Amino acid sequence: MQVRGMAQRMQQLGTETAFEVLARARALEAEGRSIVHLEIGEPDFDTADFIREAAKAALDRGETHYVPTAGLRELREAIAASIHSSRGVLVDPRRVLVTPGAKPIMFYTVLATAGPGDEVIYPDPGFPIYSSVVRFAGATAVPLPLRESNGFRVDPDELAALCTSRTRLVILNSPGNPTGAVSTDEELAAIARVAERWDAYVLSDEIYRPIAYEGPAPSFYAQAGMPARTILLDGFSKIYAMTGWRLGFGVFPPELVAGVERLIVNSVSCTAPFVQRGGIAALTGSQAPSVAMVEAFRQRRDFLVQALGEIPGLHCLVPQGAFYAFPRIDRFGTSQEVERGLLQEAGVAVLAGTAFGEAGEGYVRLSYANSLENLHEAVERIRRWCRDR
Amino acid sequence: MELSARLRAMAPSPTLALDQKVKARIKRGERVTPFHLGEPDFDTPVAAAQAAIDAIHAGKTHYTQAAGIPELRAAVAGKLRRDQGLAYAPEDVLVSVGAKHSLYNLFMTVLDPGDEVVIPSPYWVTYPDQVRLTGAIPVIVPCGPDTGYKLTAAALKEALGPRTRAVVLNSPQNPTGAVYTRQELEDLARVIVGHPDLLVVSDEIYEKLVYGTSTHTSIASLGPEIFARTVVVNGCSKAYAMTGWRIGYMAGPRPIIQAAGDFQSQVTSNPTSIAQWAAVEAIAGDQSPVEAMRRAFDRRRQLMVEHLSAIEDVTVMDPGGAFYCFPDVSRRLQRPVLGRMLSSSAELAELLLEEAQVSTVPGEAFGAPGHLRLSYACDDDTIREGVGRMRDLLAR
Ligand SMILES: Cc1ncc(COP(=O)(O)O)c(C=O)c1O
Ligand SMILES: Cc1ncc(COP(=O)(O)O)c(C=O)c1O
Repeated sequence: MQVRGMAQRMQQLGTETAFEVLARARALEAEGRSIVHLEIGEPDFDTADFIREAAKAALDRGETHYVPTAGLRELREAIAASIHSSRGVLVDPRRVLVTPGAKPIMFYTVLATAGPGDEVIYPDPGFPIYSSVVRFAGATAVPLPLRESNGFRVDPDELAALCTSRTRLVILNSPGNPTGAVSTDEELAAIARVAERWDAYVLSDEIYRPIAYEGPAPSFYAQAGMPARTILLDGFSKIYAMTGWRLGFGVFPPELVAGVERLIVNSVSCTAPFVQRGGIAALTGSQAPSVAMVEAFRQRRDFLVQALGEIPGLHCLVPQGAFYAFPRIDRFGTSQEVERGLLQEAGVAVLAGTAFGEAGEGYVRLSYANSLENLHEAVERIRRWCRDR
Repeated sequence: MELSARLRAMAPSPTLALDQKVKARIKRGERVTPFHLGEPDFDTPVAAAQAAIDAIHAGKTHYTQAAGIPELRAAVAGKLRRDQGLAYAPEDVLVSVGAKHSLYNLFMTVLDPGDEVVIPSPYWVTYPDQVRLTGAIPVIVPCGPDTGYKLTAAALKEALGPRTRAVVLNSPQNPTGAVYTRQELEDLARVIVGHPDLLVVSDEIYEKLVYGTSTHTSIASLGPEIFARTVVVNGCSKAYAMTGWRIGYMAGPRPIIQAAGDFQSQVTSNPTSIAQWAAVEAIAGDQSPVEAMRRAFDRRRQLMVEHLSAIEDVTVMDPGGAFYCFPDVSRRLQRPVLGRMLSSSAELAELLLEEAQVSTVPGEAFGAPGHLRLSYACDDDTIREGVGRMRDLLAR
């Protein structure tokens, strides 16, 4: 075949290891091995019935044609109302842009704010897509180390030390993937001062915000003055167990709205209307299924963290949010070695901390979006593996 | 704080203002004949909608493989074999959030800044916009009524240079309805395979909507050499009236498909799981709703052409496909309308909206001033009445 190689920028594209580990785990299962899946970042719950019914009703009404790029007006209004009630921030619905999942918001935000010569600071360990899209956009990705000694929370002073006149964007994610860390209000306020000092945009990924165990997680978006320079990223995948539906949104400072809308027009056109109807139902209907889900996650977290802590040589902070545990495993090998060993020898699929950045070395991520029964089994297998190591 | 250079370089749509006027009128409940619309007025086939509802009930609401569920990739590979005789494996297929998204992923994957992409005009405006977003350069090749608005092999040859990376073909074509013959595609294919590294992006989204003696041929089917150079883009929007579901796909050389799949996985993840199940049914299931829709479009097409042809100084080509007429109004612009000389088809489109409540898209939106695009995705009476009002206005 004669086709030339790919565009240069493709070399900058990272990988999302979760899918590779999943594929390896599936291959082992195909050989008859039993694997406990703790590598996947999605709730094991199903979407609530009333949300599904709303989508089905939209299909019955024939809501299957093109709709406005920015999203249905009713959904944008419902989102603005929910931000008001959850964060006390008044949002003009015209600044809300709806997309097929929250992930596209990361890419659009980086494309809209940063280019060659610009620096973007991202959390490390953090969601791997951040650094990948920054490099893809030709900007310089600057890792902000999150340290276990600081509970994996952003240290505002360390952030300030990394900022320069080239810093265009700072990415925050609290509660955080992969650590479950939740920044305090004081820390967020200090980060806000840093962003102001350097006149940087902030992408605040708050997709795990409702999944917090020690009282509500503070919101960066709610910090005074921050909506003017912050892109709020949020979505329906996690709290409403709607990963496959693909529904997320960004709330943008006014000067970015038209440009990002044009990026959406030129890439996906719009988000499926019946999916958006499901989203409206999710926001305006009963929150009981979400509350029950978070409660289930809490029980699993309590069990998992305590049980992991009892394994000699393994150390696990108590995650305050999201549905991940991030134990230190450096006694047993590198992150990659432990990931491989646990999968091949113990039959537990986890992700190496390095899948989330260099600072993840020495750790693995376990998702507890799985039943208590499976978590018991996983801990047993990990315990035996660590003992024999 | 300012926008990235990339964003600042994105020109606003030339027809945005008109677009907003039309929307505002419709919102106010004013009567507007909607010849501007770019989607079928039919509903999703019942079986496809049912497949979606079944998927919802079955809880198929979790992340899927980013490139699409295996069932859909297999259905698309099967369809391309069934309808175009193309031998793709499911792994050669990437499912995306609409055909527009397929094109976006493809351009992002293969184009470097400074690369050139040949785009025949009239064009669907998304092509040059998406190409520019990658930093590559659209090379527009005007194709007029003399060649049926189609790119000739000679014109293509002329446009190729050392940095040409791709050529975009769209047959049946938006906005003209032009359909390339097999012979024309063979001539183009010969030029393409003779130019190293050149890819063809073949947008076949209107494939099912062809009329009269026109037939659809995929350039990829014209031999192994051109097959290896082609990325076929298609989707559910037009063939199955499924625009809002957002399911499109591309098939092509595996390294490109894999790389585009990696890109999609990073920035979007999978298209809506439920919509994918609907698409499996639409593509692999009973195809009779497609033919019913095509027949209805064919009747409307003849009606619209007949009525447009009756307007003085307006010439219209008989469109062989899609659901648009693209009349040439440049002769009519040489005389005053309502006592006023108009300088462009854009002004005429505005006047038609203001004075005749007929909404059209001016040729400027497609890089072809002097024309109007009228969609016949509406019923017979609307066509008669709307074109009638247009004729009355243009007679004054
Ligand atoms: C931190 C974080 N942000 C955003 C997302 C994206 O979610 P989605 O695109 O499904 O809305 C995820 C999903 O894994 C995530 O972990
Ligand atoms: C020529 C052409 N290609 C592709 C598309 C994209 O369709 P979709 O993204 O809905 O699949 C359109 C829609 O207007 C079109 O006219």
